[in-house]
Amino acid sequence: MIVMDFQTASFLTAGILIVIGLYGVFFVDNIIKKIIALEILGSGVNLTLISICYNKYIPIKLPNMVNFAQYSAYPLTQALVLTNIVIEASMLAIMLGVSIILYKKYKTLKCSVILKED
Amino acid sequence: MAMNLLPVIVLFPITMALILNLLHENEKLVKYLTYILSLILIFLPFIGSFGYYYFGGHGVINGYTTGIAYFYNVGKQVLLLILSFIVSISLITGMGEKFKNNMFVVLTLMGYAGISAIILSDDLFNLYVFFEIVSMVQAGLVFLSGTEESYKAGLRYLLIGVVAGSLMLLGITIIIAITGSLNISDIKYYILDSPLAYVGSILLIIGLAYSSGIPPFHNIKVDLYSRAKGFISAVLQTYSKFIFVALSIIIIKIFSGLSFFSSLKGILIALSVISMVFGTVLAILEDDYKRLLAYSSISHLGFVGIGIALSSPLAILAGIFHAINSVVFKSGLFLSAYIVSNIRGPKLLNLGGLIKYIPFTAFFTLLLIFSAVGVPPFGGYVSKLLLIREIMPQFPEIAGLMILISVGSFVYLMKAFYLIFLAPNKEDYNDIRYPKVAYYSLVILSLLSLILGIFSNIILNKLFTLVKI
Repeated sequence: MIVMDFQTASFLTAGILIVIGLYGVFFVDNIIKKIIALEILGSGVNLTLISICYNKYIPIKLPNMVNFAQYSAYPLTQALVLTNIVIEASMLAIMLGVSIILYKKYKTLKCSVILKED
Repeated sequence: MAMNLLPVIVLFPITMALILNLLHENEKLVKYLTYILSLILIFLPFIGSFGYYYFGGHGVINGYTTGIAYFYNVGKQVLLLILSFIVSISLITGMGEKFKNNMFVVLTLMGYAGISAIILSDDLFNLYVFFEIVSMVQAGLVFLSGTEESYKAGLRYLLIGVVAGSLMLLGITIIIAITGSLNISDIKYYILDSPLAYVGSILLIIGLAYSSGIPPFHNIKVDLYSRAKGFISAVLQTYSKFIFVALSIIIIKIFSGLSFFSSLKGILIALSVISMVFGTVLAILEDDYKRLLAYSSISHLGFVGIGIALSSPLAILAGIFHAINSVVFKSGLFLSAYIVSNIRGPKLLNLGGLIKYIPFTAFFTLLLIFSAVGVPPFGGYVSKLLLIREIMPQFPEIAGLMILISVGSFVYLMKAFYLIFLAPNKEDYNDIRYPKVAYYSLVILSLLSLILGIFSNIILNKLFTLVKI
């Protein structure tokens, strides 16, 4: 049985999420599925951000807070993830809005139809 | 101690954008406010004091920067001044048109704030946040045209944008994992030579390529430029070029001390050369004036890229100066495209003989074409000469290619000029109507291009502060 520590497992999960996301964006034809794939890709990146701070993987550059650095995870990346979630949500909302406009025109969600270049 | 007003450069446009968004009922008020705003924007780069600005007053503790930091110097001031100038001109030109005025102003101001933050920021994550805001703004500006094609172009841009943005964030994550810091000046000292850092740098280059439109992302960018109205395309290409300058300088600054830097340099130079060649070849084949200018914009980005990628101080200086010049003359040419497409669409073969009707527009367009091709004494000539002189000793074959590309750009721009203004027209024009304000903006930009060429020494001296990496 393979024994894996928590950090390696979460890196692995993040990698799988990123690969699934990239596959979905480039090889799935449905626009809504593409947007869901983008969300999965974003989750993978967020998980990577969270995982690197677990178990003091990063050198904490605050010499006057040695005590704090010893007993806590790196706090910076968690703040970054929160910001990134907001950015992603707004991007996806715009894309869904435009998809609605294009769906009304073409009555289909296939990217090969609605995003076709003339 | 006097207060440092540096963050106002970013905060003022955002605040005004929010206020104008609430005023959407009152078109007239938005119009007058926009005129005042465009004046204020030009003075905005002068209010910050030079040096570091630490948000929240955290500052440097034991040699480590904590919190977000901005850095400002004369070179950045020149970049911001040119940005303000182009944005103001575009805002004023946009007011001559009846469409969703307030959304146009709101998005342009948000874009201005985003680009100035990217130029000022010394913090990687802050840069990423504004990078995403700018890509949203660019898609939004294209949506304003309201055509189905513009929705397609914008959606395609956003789809790729989220992928590129996520990959760039992954690159930033790797850099945090190695150095534990987000501050660019700190990262430079703490980054270690490792394969992981190489992967991080490649991921950052993907973000760079997407945001500026060098291959393989050139198609979505060209779609974006050509589907928007002319004065909006002028702003869009300004945003792309300034993001390219800011981001590529940051990438070079972070990784310049590492062992894999020469291969990174190679990747950047290769991308720039491909961008130059693709842009020129596709522009020669194009029969739509706006798409032709869009491809030409991609090809000029290649020039800038080669200069910065060489990463010797003078080459970077030449690259940045070419970015400034190309922003000015390309904005002017997009405005001329706006005037021309108002008369009978942007298709070159439908036009012809316009020199009888709008002789002065033709004259100033010709001046801008001279600057784009590199005829003395225009700005484009000075920067191209500097670039070729810097590249010649290291890569003589690329220098030769650049001269060939310049000849190519002369061919496609003169082809466009001939087909629009000189060729015999097939049917008479009933009424020539175009916004007068666009014409005045065209005049101002072509004079600015001339000034950049004549007073290039002063500007190059000021820009030199940017290249001390």
